[in-house]
Amino acid sequence: MLSHKNFALAELGNTAQRNAEVSNSDQFSFRRWATINRYRRELCPRITKGATTLDEIPPGVRTTGLTTMSSLNWKIQLAFGTAIFTLLVVGAVSYRVMVESSENGRLVRHTHEVLESIHDLRFDMESIGSSSREFAFTGKDSYLESFRANQLKIKQDQTAFGGLTADNPAQQRQLPALDGLINRAIQRAELVIGLRRSQGMAAPVAAIQSEPDERITIEFQALADKLQREELRLLALRDAETKGRLRQSETILIFGTLLGSLIAGAAGWSAQHESTARGLAKGALRDSEERYRMLLDGVQDYAIFMLNPQGRVVSWSAGAGRVKGYTAEQIIGHDFSCFFPPEEIQRGRPKEVLRLAAANGRYEACTVRVRKDGSQFLAGVTCTALRDQAGNLRGFSEISRDLSESKESEAKYRGLLEAAPDAMVVVDQGGDIVLLNVQAEKQFGYRRDELLGQKVKNIIPEGFAERLIADGIRTAAEALAQQIGTGIELYGLRKDGTEFPIEIMLSPLESAEGILVTAAIRDISVRKAAEKYLAQMEARYRGLLEAAPDAMVVVNQSGEIVLLNVQAEKQFGYRRDELVGEMVKEIIPEGFAERLVADALRSPEDALAQQIGTGIELYGRRKDGSGFPIEIMLSPLESAEGILVTAAIRDITARKTAEAHLVRKVEELNRSNQELERFAYIASHDLQEPLRMVASYTQLLSRRYKGKLDSDADEFIAFAVDGASRMQRLIKDLLAYSRVGTKGKDLLDVSSEDALRQALINLRGAIEESGALVTHDFLPTVLADETQLVQLFQNLIGNAIKYQKPGVPRVHISASNDGDNRWTFSVQDNGLGIESQYFEKIFGVFQRLHKRDEFAGTGIGLAICKKIVERHGGSISVESRIGEGSTFRFALTGRERKS
Amino acid sequence: MKTIAGEGVPVEVLLVEDSPGDVRLTQEAFRETNRSIHLHVASDGVEAMAFLRNQGEYAHAPRPDLILLDLNVPKLDGREVLAQTKMDDNLKSIPTIVLTTSDADADVLESYRLQANCYLNKPVQLDEFESVVKSISDFWLRKVMLPQRR
Repeated sequence: MLSHKNFALAELGNTAQRNAEVSNSDQFSFRRWATINRYRRELCPRITKGATTLDEIPPGVRTTGLTTMSSLNWKIQLAFGTAIFTLLVVGAVSYRVMVESSENGRLVRHTHEVLESIHDLRFDMESIGSSSREFAFTGKDSYLESFRANQLKIKQDQTAFGGLTADNPAQQRQLPALDGLINRAIQRAELVIGLRRSQGMAAPVAAIQSEPDERITIEFQALADKLQREELRLLALRDAETKGRLRQSETILIFGTLLGSLIAGAAGWSAQHESTARGLAKGALRDSEERYRMLLDGVQDYAIFMLNPQGRVVSWSAGAGRVKGYTAEQIIGHDFSCFFPPEEIQRGRPKEVLRLAAANGRYEACTVRVRKDGSQFLAGVTCTALRDQAGNLRGFSEISRDLSESKESEAKYRGLLEAAPDAMVVVDQGGDIVLLNVQAEKQFGYRRDELLGQKVKNIIPEGFAERLIADGIRTAAEALAQQIGTGIELYGLRKDGTEFPIEIMLSPLESAEGILVTAAIRDISVRKAAEKYLAQMEARYRGLLEAAPDAMVVVNQSGEIVLLNVQAEKQFGYRRDELVGEMVKEIIPEGFAERLVADALRSPEDALAQQIGTGIELYGRRKDGSGFPIEIMLSPLESAEGILVTAAIRDITARKTAEAHLVRKVEELNRSNQELERFAYIASHDLQEPLRMVASYTQLLSRRYKGKLDSDADEFIAFAVDGASRMQRLIKDLLAYSRVGTKGKDLLDVSSEDALRQALINLRGAIEESGALVTHDFLPTVLADETQLVQLFQNLIGNAIKYQKPGVPRVHISASNDGDNRWTFSVQDNGLGIESQYFEKIFGVFQRLHKRDEFAGTGIGLAICKKIVERHGGSISVESRIGEGSTFRFALTGRERKS
Repeated sequence: MKTIAGEGVPVEVLLVEDSPGDVRLTQEAFRETNRSIHLHVASDGVEAMAFLRNQGEYAHAPRPDLILLDLNVPKLDGREVLAQTKMDDNLKSIPTIVLTTSDADADVLESYRLQANCYLNKPVQLDEFESVVKSISDFWLRKVMLPQRR
């Protein structure tokens, strides 16, 4: 299907890009491809299978709802029921109580009425009695009237009482007695009245005082009391009954309320619990839904949405929004036919699609769809029917992809593939090449059409399959790691039959056509050559190391010895295997690290310069523990394992001994030199004294006795004087000569011009006498002992003036810079000149070329000059031609360099 | 009272010198100067100090008007004599001339530091020597005013 192919292409592009990245960097990711695949698998119904079932909906969501529902309902119902029941019970009981209370009240009232009636009766009786008695006593008619009234009243009251006690059989039984008594009382009263009316007062009085009156009263009272008691008793009884019933009601009330509350509470709590659980389940369901929603919405490039069986949109993903242009609010509830072009709607295509999907499980097509804005686009559409466990159609899921986009991206991916720096070849399961890029064409020398459909074995004869397996087994990281280095040696075969070493990176790819393998192929012939070269160099290096005359030790960054040569073995007395891996501290206990630092700090020139001479005193330790002085030269070496340091170790025992020896010798020499000098000085100094005596006295002799003795004596004395004088001069000169060394001062910056000037002042006499012309050029500042420089000039110029032929002596002094801070001075004269065979001799002590009578002088002058110049670190020489003149040359160091 | 140059009071000079030859030379040289000089000689430093301090056999020795001092005399060398003389309140006013073979700068410096009145190098040549002595005489014994003898 086209959609698959596009998808595959997309992935190729991805692979190409990825492999390009892999070749050059450390990323190697399947992730994007894998993610999309997972989306496809997890979200959408299996494309290769039929309809989905409710099995695919997470079970939790389904089951939790129902059971919760019914159980919850039941519980709520129970709670409600109990509450209502309790309410009813309470109401009934309350009613009962109320009734009881009112009954009780009535009873009480009734009893009080009866009691009152009794009381009335008592009163009436009393009244009857009293009124009759009053009448008896007074005879007034008012009393008679009141008696009559009373009589009436009592009868009324009696009736009343009877009525009141109608419900009480016991009381009723007393009625006759009561009646009897009342009648007797009335009779008695009548009697009394009658008596009075007839007989006057005395008779009734007597009658009153007779017993039956009292007896009636007493009986009546007793009866009244009895009635009263009875009534009270009845009251108490009823009261107790009522109270009892009240208590009963109370108990029922309380108990009922409690029970009801309990049940209600239990039900309520249970309901709450269920509600929470339901809430959690709901929450879980929400989360789950949320996750799926996120997953769904994460897919931007595919429109994924659900339809109900009638074709109305019930769910909508973000991707759907993007592809189709509708938001969820806009489209949910609408018929999905709005996605179809109008002509298809007219034909009833949407319904047909649903029908086909329902019938076949799914429907796939590459067809035109319409966006919200009315624009049409080519879409790859898959519509799948969703069924529940029972097989009922629940709705449809649809996935569409905008192919026009992917067509662009297809082009982009193709471009990417083409542009990949490595050769890219896609191989199918049969080992045939299905796709390749231009680099592959170039590298292998084939045209594209020549390779398509060919077996990959034609270009990669061996190793492809093994590599595939290997890559399948290893993780991406391992694969990458092994890219650098050995790996499986693979060769590519060009069209012209030549082979070249290659490296391949493979990535598998699922597609509708099965598993494809994308191979990125890199020509590593350059790298291999480099490796070979490197190996050669390494071998050479090793060879060099072994052959080196010094002990060579290579140390790694942790200070371990990784390599050494045979000289090292010899010098340190170890076998090779004993030292490799050991710390360099074992053989060079101190100073290696410091030396390393020092060498790193200094330039090679400095390092070399310091190699000769002091440097850092290092000692090597042999296996037997003995130490020996060494010198090491270090040079860093970059390698794959980091920076290594090659150390050339030289045993300098011999040199050190020689040096020590030399130092000793020099010291001895210096000492003996000094002694000689002192000796010369002392000698000449001490010789002065006796010489002075001889000279002085011979002169005195000469002076005082000249002419007084004979001529022989004069001559003898003359010779003696002369000898003494000469000796004096010789000694003086010898002293001067030795003083060049002993009295020599430190060399400082001295203006040679000034020195010359001083010398000329000292020679003033000689210059004037001879009329000599002394000239000079610019003379520099030099490092010199000023006094001696003056002496030097004085001697040379003095000689120049002295050893002259007739005429004007000319002397010219100049100096030229030799570079490197050396000045060569020239004292040139036009004097007699010197024969070449004497060029050396003249600088000897007391060497003269002329007789004493020709020229004065002891012959020490030039010797002194030579000594002075040599003391200043230079040398003196002469050029001369007989008859023309001489040029004396000497070199001095210029002004001290300020560093 | 001033010492009058020319005839009259002879000048007392102490010569501290160990070499008899030099002593004689000095004497001869002074004779040339026509000055009335009594030349006393001490041949080593100890003798010199004894003379100056009028000790022992020199108890009645005159106080010199001038001291000519050779640095290299035995026992107590000239430098010591110079030092002691110049530290002694009684003796330090006597002009002391160092007349010695050494021309070493160190000796010159030290002598002046020790308060020598002047330093002269004994010339090797006879005539030069005579010249020096004459100079001494001319300068120190004629021109210069010497402190009065006590």
